[in-house]
Amino acid sequence: MTTAPSRLAERVLAFVVRDPEWRDGVIGDLREEHAKLVGRIGVDGARRWHRRQGLAVAFRYGAHRLLRRGTPPRRWFAAVAHESDGSMAAGLTRDVLYAWRSVTQRPALSAVIVMTLALALAANSTTYSLMDAIVLRPYRFPDVDRLLIVVSHPANEVQRLLDRDSVARGDYRDWQGESKTVRQWAAYEWWDANLSGVDIPEQVPGFRVTPGFFSTLGVTPALGREFLDEEAQPGRHRRVVLSHTLWTRRFAADPGIVGSSIRLDGEPYEVVGVAPEGFQVPLGAEAWAPIAYDAAQWQDHGSTTDLSVIGRLAGGATLEGARAEIAAVVDGQRRDHPDTNANRAATVVSFTAGMADPGAGPLMAVWQVAAGLLLLIACANIANLLMARGTERSQEYAVRLALGASRSRLFGQTLIEGLMLSALACGASIPLAVAGLGMSRRAIPESVIRFIPGFEFIQFDVRLLALTALLGTTATLIFAMVPALQAMRSDVSESLRQSGRTQTPARGRRRLRSVLATSQVALALALLFGSGLVLTAADRFTNGVLGFDKHNVLVAQLVLPERAYAAAETRRRFITRVTDGVSQIPAVTGSGITSHIPYGPANQMRRFWPEGQDLREDEARLVNFRRSSAGYFGVMRIPLVAGRQFDDRDRPGSTPVAMVSASLARQYWPGQDPIGRRFKLSLDGGWVTVTGVTGDVIHNWFTQQRDHTVYLPFTQDAPFAVAFTLRTVGDPDALAGDLRRAVAAADPDQPIASLTTLEDLVEDRVGGFSFIANALGVVAIIALALALMGIYSLMSYLTSQRTQEIGVRMALGAGRWQVVRLTTGHAVKITVAGTLIGGVLSLGLGRVMQSVMFGLVSTSILQLIAIVAVLATAALLAAYLPARRAARLDPTTALREH
Amino acid sequence: MAAIYLGEFEYAVLLATLHLDQEGYAVPIRELIEARTGRPVARGALYTALDRLEGKGCLRSRMGDSTDERGGKARRYFTVTASGLKAIRATHGALASMARGLETILERS
Repeated sequence: MTTAPSRLAERVLAFVVRDPEWRDGVIGDLREEHAKLVGRIGVDGARRWHRRQGLAVAFRYGAHRLLRRGTPPRRWFAAVAHESDGSMAAGLTRDVLYAWRSVTQRPALSAVIVMTLALALAANSTTYSLMDAIVLRPYRFPDVDRLLIVVSHPANEVQRLLDRDSVARGDYRDWQGESKTVRQWAAYEWWDANLSGVDIPEQVPGFRVTPGFFSTLGVTPALGREFLDEEAQPGRHRRVVLSHTLWTRRFAADPGIVGSSIRLDGEPYEVVGVAPEGFQVPLGAEAWAPIAYDAAQWQDHGSTTDLSVIGRLAGGATLEGARAEIAAVVDGQRRDHPDTNANRAATVVSFTAGMADPGAGPLMAVWQVAAGLLLLIACANIANLLMARGTERSQEYAVRLALGASRSRLFGQTLIEGLMLSALACGASIPLAVAGLGMSRRAIPESVIRFIPGFEFIQFDVRLLALTALLGTTATLIFAMVPALQAMRSDVSESLRQSGRTQTPARGRRRLRSVLATSQVALALALLFGSGLVLTAADRFTNGVLGFDKHNVLVAQLVLPERAYAAAETRRRFITRVTDGVSQIPAVTGSGITSHIPYGPANQMRRFWPEGQDLREDEARLVNFRRSSAGYFGVMRIPLVAGRQFDDRDRPGSTPVAMVSASLARQYWPGQDPIGRRFKLSLDGGWVTVTGVTGDVIHNWFTQQRDHTVYLPFTQDAPFAVAFTLRTVGDPDALAGDLRRAVAAADPDQPIASLTTLEDLVEDRVGGFSFIANALGVVAIIALALALMGIYSLMSYLTSQRTQEIGVRMALGAGRWQVVRLTTGHAVKITVAGTLIGGVLSLGLGRVMQSVMFGLVSTSILQLIAIVAVLATAALLAAYLPARRAARLDPTTALREH
Repeated sequence: MAAIYLGEFEYAVLLATLHLDQEGYAVPIRELIEARTGRPVARGALYTALDRLEGKGCLRSRMGDSTDERGGKARRYFTVTASGLKAIRATHGALASMARGLETILERS
């Protein structure tokens, strides 16, 4: 053990005593006395003595030097800063200097406070920045709040998620014709364009849009123009506007590109414009072409409902007005087109709300609330520390009051101290927030970012700085108010009488500190529980029951161009050639294809009419629809529950067959054998016979539902969108090159849109959610640490205040355990109260989260109990440490202390 | 030059320094005051008094040699200057003249 004196005291002294000769003299004197004391009262006692004396000297000497001018001669003991009159400015400067000294006088305490607050502020500003970029203002073009989105949906279905591409062409034309509240309309639909005639063919996410699409959004192309009305006709529609990124990436930002021709889907398209930088509506769009339907097609109210519709409000019109108007138009459509529109309703939402990622809003809100709670906990913690410090300083306050300082002056000065701490914390939080944002940007996979609007706006800016400062100041007002009030209420005679003796803290003050510690425990428990729920959910989405085996599978997704592959036979041949090619690879144990891979970006649904049930168009339920090969189920390890797989019997022209998911079979043929049953996928379509039943698969991580699914053999009608799946021995990534070659061998012009392992596909899909879940976890852990620190500091403080009492009790024969019990009893009460309140809070929070997060999370009492157990153990440990120290005290030392 | 008036504590500090002749530095000065007066002296108060007295020209200081027990830090020795002596005399004289005639009361207990 070292016998060195307190380094803290010496550092503070070295800081306060600026004159080098004085500094040596003072520090040396204290060392000399310290060295003598080591022999008399032991190493620890001597160090404590040295720290106390060193800091006291630093304070008095510092005050003396700083206020030397105008100070009257000292009386015997009053070597304390005297309040002098002076101008407001001089007073303020003095207050600030004084505050700075008070902050630097206790560097460890100040550092803890500043870091605590900085962490909480950084958590809040990071979350707010993400929230602002992704949820509140993901699109930032002119008058974005005047834009709206209209979607169609069955009138009798509750809309959990907004289905944007849902509008029939005829409906759109009616709205356009009859609405007066909406000045300008535009519609668009998906178009996966295959870019060829260049080195590497590529699938470009594109959209077909009505002329006026850009002007409705208030955007003009950076180069060229947008589409003309006459270009929206079949035969004249081969025009394209390129996104800024596609233009720079594939065409070297050629300024003369307008007017030239590029090949899309194997056809020549004239480039008429380039969109401005950063413009990506709909999200991820890299090319826009005119939508081309003839007059008859524009009258179709029927089954093709895949337009997305946007509008710009007329001057003076409101969203509510548009809602009422569209509702009236929709009523008219029900009467005019009873066959198709009888059960159709429309919903009008703001552009920002409609375009936002459906899950992001509530998730970000939960995160923001968590960050807010963390800030509250931090404030409680800091108030607690400052109160302990305030009790230590009550003598100082008392002396200053006795010397004539006004109470309001003391109050103001304590507040200035708080503001100084929060200014330091704001400064420290900036690099933390920048790091947090950087981590957020990196944590979300590229493939997901494409679907997060506003992602490019995630950054640290002046707005955020202002917000941080505002939060910091508010927090200060909360946490500094308590010690400031305490300073103001100092009782002069009482404090002075206690001088030099153990101070028994006022009962009220102790109670307030206990309440603060209790609330910290309660809030931390709620946070831990809430983040636990989200973490469990994130784990379930990636590692839970998916219905398929994501390991060792390579997936290549592509879309065949409509013109070159118009005939189903050419598509089937392409697919067969690729699958035959990859089967030759030795490490491949199985291969298969499907039109829509689970957890993939797209889905296709059809209405389902089982034979024998006479359902109208709008009564038939939607089911997931896929075209797959027999090998697909083997690769994905989706079990065959009954019947047979697809095989050579299922050819073009043979009886149309299907496999259905087990949940679908149970729903439509409960307790019966589904094999041999028939159904239709459109009212005027042919009958399809069930030959097999497969296990259920979760397609959409977000709904986590075992959707009813119908699989048709690709051999009877091959799809345009194809996902090739390979099951491999060992690392599937190693086979990426082979799969590329197999595709190129079948068609050198055919680009692969995405090539990834199934495991990455699943994880990336849940990536954003997982990231927020982990971030919540971190917030909760920080909250836990703060709460434990709160209990620890309170217990240390209370125990140190009772050192003499403990000494007396031990001298009278109390055992160590009795001392521990005596000192931890209070902590037990705090912990019990905190966990009880926190438990109730947790259950409430769980209910709220369940409802705002679409049931993504589910509360578990078991989880709550586990968290309570961990928290209670940690809290009691934090209280035990100071208690043990007290119990180890030598009674004589304890009695001599103070 | 008008005589400097000393505060009670300053007076005690100067007297202690005078007692210690050339060997006065903060530690023994403080011990001496405590021993003779029987009242505790805060170190911070002593340093500020020493600084102030030096500023008034009553004390002069010099740095001594460093020693191991002081962790290599030198001592700051104080000696009373001529004007310090004058201030002591003035204060002593003033107090003594105030006390004159009260000897029977003052020296009884």
